[in-house]
Amino acid sequence: MIRNFGKVVLWSLFLIALPMVAGAEDGSGGDGKWGYALGAGLAIGLAGLGCGIGQGLTAGNTTAGIARNPGASGTMFTSFILGMVLIESIAIYGLVIAFMLQGKI
Amino acid sequence: MNIYTPLESAVPWVVQAAILAGILMLAAGFLIRRRIAVENGGLVPDEGVTLRNCFEVVIEALANLARDRIGEDWRKFFPIVGTMFVFILFSNLIGLLPGVEGATSDANTTWAWACISWIVYTWVGVAKHKQKYLIKFMGPSFFEREMFGRTVHFRLLAPVILAIELPLDLARILTLAVRLLANMFADHTVIAVWISLVPIGVPAVFMGLGLIVSFLQAFIFSLLTMIYIGLALEEPH
Repeated sequence: MIRNFGKVVLWSLFLIALPMVAGAEDGSGGDGKWGYALGAGLAIGLAGLGCGIGQGLTAGNTTAGIARNPGASGTMFTSFILGMVLIESIAIYGLVIAFMLQGKI
Repeated sequence: MNIYTPLESAVPWVVQAAILAGILMLAAGFLIRRRIAVENGGLVPDEGVTLRNCFEVVIEALANLARDRIGEDWRKFFPIVGTMFVFILFSNLIGLLPGVEGATSDANTTWAWACISWIVYTWVGVAKHKQKYLIKFMGPSFFEREMFGRTVHFRLLAPVILAIELPLDLARILTLAVRLLANMFADHTVIAVWISLVPIGVPAVFMGLGLIVSFLQAFIFSLLTMIYIGLALEEPH
């Protein structure tokens, strides 16, 4: 898996660069604007990725904690909700950037 | 097209929305006060789900949190934190109704509340510690010497850490404001998009999510303010 990782990365970069080089008839809807669209998509996409991993870890650990000690589930639920909302706010920052970029297209 | 358009030319809609939330808060306060101002009326809780019971649950939970976070004189700070919570909660909930917009959907309200929160905890910290409030931002002390009759702590990394910690403190205003604003804005946008796609049934699910999110965001705002007040009040080490 790690041995082929370099090959995967190089092939994907090549395949992404290929239409950019070959498509000389690009830019019908504004020349420099594809950067804004790509940035907007990547902003919320990567922010959602990080948020999903973080909240998934939080939910998993909270479930394991409640399974181990059901009596303390009230305290665990409070810190679970607190952690979820604070991690969510970072994904929301990405969404704000996505909206700001999408307004510039 | 919302209920603020008749007076839109005279008063901006944000101000109208804030006044509406304030009127609702006052109305709720009067209704509950009338119930418990009767002789021995405050001792026995009502049966079932009434306005007073909902508020009692909420205020008891907030009071427990305040006692944990702020310490022994939590009663001094409970009014501002409670008002923050109730105002933001009512404004968020109003925003979910179709023809009405909440005040927290606009950037001005959330920035104002974030600045109020920063002013409250900075004022409290400076009032208690005076000039020693800045010691919190200066990092750990590496060694101490007995000079001028007192122990002087040498905080060697103070310039670097001060340059990082002060903008971080101001960034708390930014995060508080943007978190609340973006959550409400994203909520309304999602509901609007789903209404344009599938007008029946599915937007109700997202409005349910909006209920949960509005309650949680109001709670998080006031809880973070309580935590910041508690951090500002504790002794610098």
